[in-house]
Amino acid sequence: MRYLLISLLFLLAGCASYQQRNNFEIQEVSDEGITNSYFSDVVKDYVYKAKIDVYGKSFGGLFIVKKIAEAHHRVVFTTEMGAKIFDFSFHKDEFKVNYILDEMDKKILLNILERDFRVLVRENEKAISKSIKDNSELFETEIVNKKYYYLINGGRLNKIVRVNNGKEKVVFLFSKISDATAKNIQILHKNIKLAINLKSIN
Amino acid sequence: MRKIIYLLLLMVSAIHAQTKMTNTEASLLKEKVKSQAEKTNTISSNFVQYKHLDFLSNDIVTSGNLAFKNPDLVKWEYVKPFVYSVIFKNENLYINDEGKKSDVNLSSSKLFKQLNKLIVNSVKGDMFDEKEFEIAYFKKEATSEVHFRPINKKISKYIKAFHIQFNAQGDVVEIKMIEPSDDYTRIVFSNRTINKPLSDAIFAH
Repeated sequence: MRYLLISLLFLLAGCASYQQRNNFEIQEVSDEGITNSYFSDVVKDYVYKAKIDVYGKSFGGLFIVKKIAEAHHRVVFTTEMGAKIFDFSFHKDEFKVNYILDEMDKKILLNILERDFRVLVRENEKAISKSIKDNSELFETEIVNKKYYYLINGGRLNKIVRVNNGKEKVVFLFSKISDATAKNIQILHKNIKLAINLKSIN
Repeated sequence: MRKIIYLLLLMVSAIHAQTKMTNTEASLLKEKVKSQAEKTNTISSNFVQYKHLDFLSNDIVTSGNLAFKNPDLVKWEYVKPFVYSVIFKNENLYINDEGKKSDVNLSSSKLFKQLNKLIVNSVKGDMFDEKEFEIAYFKKEATSEVHFRPINKKISKYIKAFHIQFNAQGDVVEIKMIEPSDDYTRIVFSNRTINKPLSDAIFAH
């Protein structure tokens, strides 16, 4: 009986939502919009020096984002010397590979990059729920069938988390924010050894 | 009507301010560049790199220094807006990315070795190999421009053409590497010094 109770408790703890686990208090369901304005200026070229660590290997290059039109972005990665490694287009929910180096043209990898960069550049989402803790707001949303949380501190988007069963799978961290640009961005995967580090150079 | 045609013709010729060289002019240039390359033991130069992507508002500008030592040592070093260098040495690339060192061995990939050789040769400008390239020669005011289109399909998949500009002495002043998509990387050299002694320490990892 006692074992049953303990395992029930574990089960319940396992069911705690991401908000509850982080001591956020859930507000009423809200239809507020969430905005990520870090890639929202069509006039700007967003250029970052990138460092990608994947399974113990590390390589660098330039990570370039351009907003072409509303809900339409180009995301390109080149070597420092300018050779293109990949070139993607995101238009609403659509994803197009304009170019990818043969060596990287693998479905599993493409799926990861597509999912990560879609979230990175997307501007407007509709919140499913909102919760608060002190000065922070946590918005829950869904992007192409995956659950995400947007953490906003003092009006600034600092973190996006993809969550599965209440656990963090991918974390996007935005820091050194000035002029609506995040000078430092990190994309950290929790279940695979992949970390993308971006430093603005323009 | 005739005026419009004249005007159009004028505009077209203004855009194409370069004219094709005669065969004699082309072989003279080739000889000059080859003999210049033979006399060259070292090159040190500053460069500015312009990465052009069609969808961007501005080219991405980076700059740094180049060092070359005969026969095939090249150090390509970016100083602004980040510190990054790559040394082409034997069959390896030695990378120093803001202090973090790594190396890549190219010996297993014939393609990368070929691409590597191309970069090293383009620094000297001596790429006049008609088995490897379709070559076209142009005059452009005081400079000459040569277009090298790789014939090998495996290479042309990455680089559609190299456009190399030479000054009157036959030194490379600009390299443009054009991708199949027509996006390109343009490198403009300045303060280019030939045969200044360069110590091996420059090429140490």
